[in-house]
Amino acid sequence: MGNNDENSDLYVGKSVRTLEGKGPVSGRAKYTSDFNFDGQLYAHILRSPHASADIKSIDTSAAEKISGVVKVLTGEEAAKYIDPIPHYIDPTGLGGKVATIRCLALDYVWCYGQPVAVVVAEEKRIAQYAVSKINVDYDIKDPVIDPALALREDAKPVVRDWDSNLITQLPFSNGDPEKAISSADEVIQTEVKVHRFSTQPIETRCYNAVWEAETESITLYGTVQNPHPLRNVLSKVLRMPENKIRIHAPTIGGAFGLKMHGHPEEGLMCILSKLTRRPVKWVESREECLLVGAREQVHNVELAVKKDGTITALRDNFVANTGAPSATPGWAMSFLTGLTMPGPYAVRNLDVLLSAVVTNKPGWNASRGYGKEVTAMALEISIDNAARQLGIDPLEMRCKNFIKSDQFPYDSPTGLIYDSGDYSGVLMKAAKAIDYEGWKVKQKEALKEGRYIGIGIGFELTPEGGAVPGTLVAGYDTSSVKVGPDGSVRVLTGVTSPGSGNPTGIAQIVADELGVKLDTIEVIQGDTTTCPYGFGNASGRSTIVGGGSAAKAAKKVREKIIKVAAALMEVDEKTVNLIQGNITSGDKSISLEEVCYAVYTRAYDVASVVEPPLESTATFKPGLIRHTPDENGRINPYPSYSNAGFIAITEVDIETGQTKLLKISVAHDCGKAINPILVEGQANGAISFGIGGSMSENIVFDENGRQLTNNFMDYVMPRAHDVPEILQSHHDSPNPVTYMGLKGAGEAGVGGSASAIVNSVNNALSPFGVLITDLPLTAPRVWAAIQLARKNQPQRKVA
Amino acid sequence: MEDLLEDTVLIQLRINGKYHELEISPSVSLLDLLRDELNFKGTHMGCMTGHCGACTVMINGKTAKSCITLASTLSNVDITTIEGLSDEEGNLSPLQESFWNTAGFQCGYCAPGMLFLTKELLEDNPNPTDDEIKTALEGTLCRCTGYQSLIRAVKDAAENISASKS
Repeated sequence: MGNNDENSDLYVGKSVRTLEGKGPVSGRAKYTSDFNFDGQLYAHILRSPHASADIKSIDTSAAEKISGVVKVLTGEEAAKYIDPIPHYIDPTGLGGKVATIRCLALDYVWCYGQPVAVVVAEEKRIAQYAVSKINVDYDIKDPVIDPALALREDAKPVVRDWDSNLITQLPFSNGDPEKAISSADEVIQTEVKVHRFSTQPIETRCYNAVWEAETESITLYGTVQNPHPLRNVLSKVLRMPENKIRIHAPTIGGAFGLKMHGHPEEGLMCILSKLTRRPVKWVESREECLLVGAREQVHNVELAVKKDGTITALRDNFVANTGAPSATPGWAMSFLTGLTMPGPYAVRNLDVLLSAVVTNKPGWNASRGYGKEVTAMALEISIDNAARQLGIDPLEMRCKNFIKSDQFPYDSPTGLIYDSGDYSGVLMKAAKAIDYEGWKVKQKEALKEGRYIGIGIGFELTPEGGAVPGTLVAGYDTSSVKVGPDGSVRVLTGVTSPGSGNPTGIAQIVADELGVKLDTIEVIQGDTTTCPYGFGNASGRSTIVGGGSAAKAAKKVREKIIKVAAALMEVDEKTVNLIQGNITSGDKSISLEEVCYAVYTRAYDVASVVEPPLESTATFKPGLIRHTPDENGRINPYPSYSNAGFIAITEVDIETGQTKLLKISVAHDCGKAINPILVEGQANGAISFGIGGSMSENIVFDENGRQLTNNFMDYVMPRAHDVPEILQSHHDSPNPVTYMGLKGAGEAGVGGSASAIVNSVNNALSPFGVLITDLPLTAPRVWAAIQLARKNQPQRKVA
Repeated sequence: MEDLLEDTVLIQLRINGKYHELEISPSVSLLDLLRDELNFKGTHMGCMTGHCGACTVMINGKTAKSCITLASTLSNVDITTIEGLSDEEGNLSPLQESFWNTAGFQCGYCAPGMLFLTKELLEDNPNPTDDEIKTALEGTLCRCTGYQSLIRAVKDAAENISASKS
């Protein structure tokens, strides 16, 4: 199993084209907004234009008088029919405070863009027009936008019944950081400011709720990453049992965390459908999509170091501005940022303190990297600053401090258990692929011509397959493999795909384990009624647990096929071969279809050696996860620790501050690659997030907390020319506790590439002594830093 | 009761080779007309400001963003949507085969933009360089691939199309 040979009879390890790829290229894939039903109605949402205000009254009478308007719903009326949204990850589980999250604001609004009322109409344009006729009388309050001000004792609480704006404050500590810091050769401080940037899949969210009169139930077609857990949430919101709710997530046009649930519109469409007894659909506008925030954190990193570059302690007091409370899992990314410290580095003395703060900005949702990308950015930018101040090569400084490949499994100082890794091997591979030493020479040559080339390093550890105790974020998942009387195969999984190709990877695994041809397999996902209970797509888990469970189920079905084939051929089952649908024993053979048909039709004679039907359901539950707290109360929520090393080459135009990313090299350890071309695609996509995040994507607000970034002209994502050649190497150190050593792909790339780019720009500008740690590196910001440095050090010689 | 009645405009279009005579609202976008009235769901909404390219179609053989095209301004034009790239039996064109075979797309939501921009490029320039491919694809955003696989797909399409012509 796991043969990479293209001539092998096995599918795993081959870059086969995707089973699901024909739909999108032909325009026939059905994304959520492509579904329409008889009697379809359309919803449009009225959102708060203020960051903080009391709602004194809402007058809906003019909207109701418009012909074609079917229903206008305000927060006050909604509260009669629906309950608050339970949290995806409840802050109380992490010692935090919980706010009541409603689908529509009641009494007051706590952020710009918060839903206040909704109109349902026969046509989209009527709903949109009617929303403009709703009159809300607001008493506008001063908003709390800056997290530092939000933390002051006299700050007004964003959540009126809270005593402060802290969701939670959590320490991550180990060893004796105080002693290490006071006895260090040097303590190097770096303030890293990571800005607000988000996911922005090209398909925005969409929900279409259908009231099923016959069964008095609701079917929700939606852009949903986690259908079964959402069903649980909606059962509480709608006061309906789970068996009266069906979630169907069809083809998804990219998710990256955005389509994890807790959004008000999910419950709203359902209740509107129940009230109107008709299907109600809402398609998120890009402006609405840009409201969903992520990542904004300020880190104050102190590294205690020896003169030789050994890091002896890490202190980081960091603040996350998570915006207004949200039931989505976004806020908890800040927890992962702390938990993943100190990343790949063998630093035992740790003093990290997270302050997760609410403000009157719109809330977060999960975002590719899930906080671990910010850990990488804070660490990598700080380590580069330290290497610069110590006069040590940044590559050497990292290799000196990495956990060594013979130290795994490794108990991290925050309680994590890293499964496997070869961090210096990974980083050196990335360096070699791009010719790191060669670029140093080119850099010197360029500088003589007045060109500023930078070489930057980044590394990231991305724990994958996370499981949070007491939540529906589970470590395991389940698949069913079903072979029909005709020998065709259906695989139903509890995991879902955001468009990443995991159905094909899972089918490759099943084809090999079962012994059938790939094109006889259909993978079915995203339907709570037909698929096994599962936890969907998150945390790079889909192939680890979706593939792992499908392999187990396929093995059991294979055993039945072999047994019946042996009985039909009258041979010993040990002599039966089954590969690519060909069943042989010595010189005898029998068709797969004949065997499968016999299982269903001859259960009382020749096929009685097995229990029909040819179906099996299995669960894969990876090891290493530890939810029973250790003596320090710490858990390990991850089975798998993917990692990646990056080298970025940039050139900065010092007259304009414009940065050009010339080349980027990545070495990626995600364990076994089931379909290498798809795995590469995951890393390339994540790197593109890092490029945009470090250089151009930024969501900004005015001083009143009104969001100014509301379209793709303001929110600048990479286009084709912004992404240079990506040199990708694979470095496989298999995970001992997963099927085939899988580690999970998809998240690694964001934080590592972003850090490498920032470090590269700072490296390019090191002749000026420039160190920019306030992101993103837009041209005006870089230009200003160069000007400031020139003013302060006019006599400084260019090296 | 307030009514949103509007005057209508009569337009005549050929969509994927088929003639349509339609009475439409003057304010409807070509995107909404295609999706909501004519059921061409392969043309996608991504931004409604003309920046993302997921709504790309061809109007008289040139790429256009249907979300910022008022349908009422069009008459007697030939429109090709993504559904028109394959034949009536659903056989894919060499261009589509290349994108599928080489894993050009991940989620595929941007496919209308990428496929039509590539078609337009290769009609003018059958053998483009990487740089020319990037310039051609600038009009459509892809959030999944980092463009690496799209460039690979365009190159494969260039070969595939010239092979199918020879």
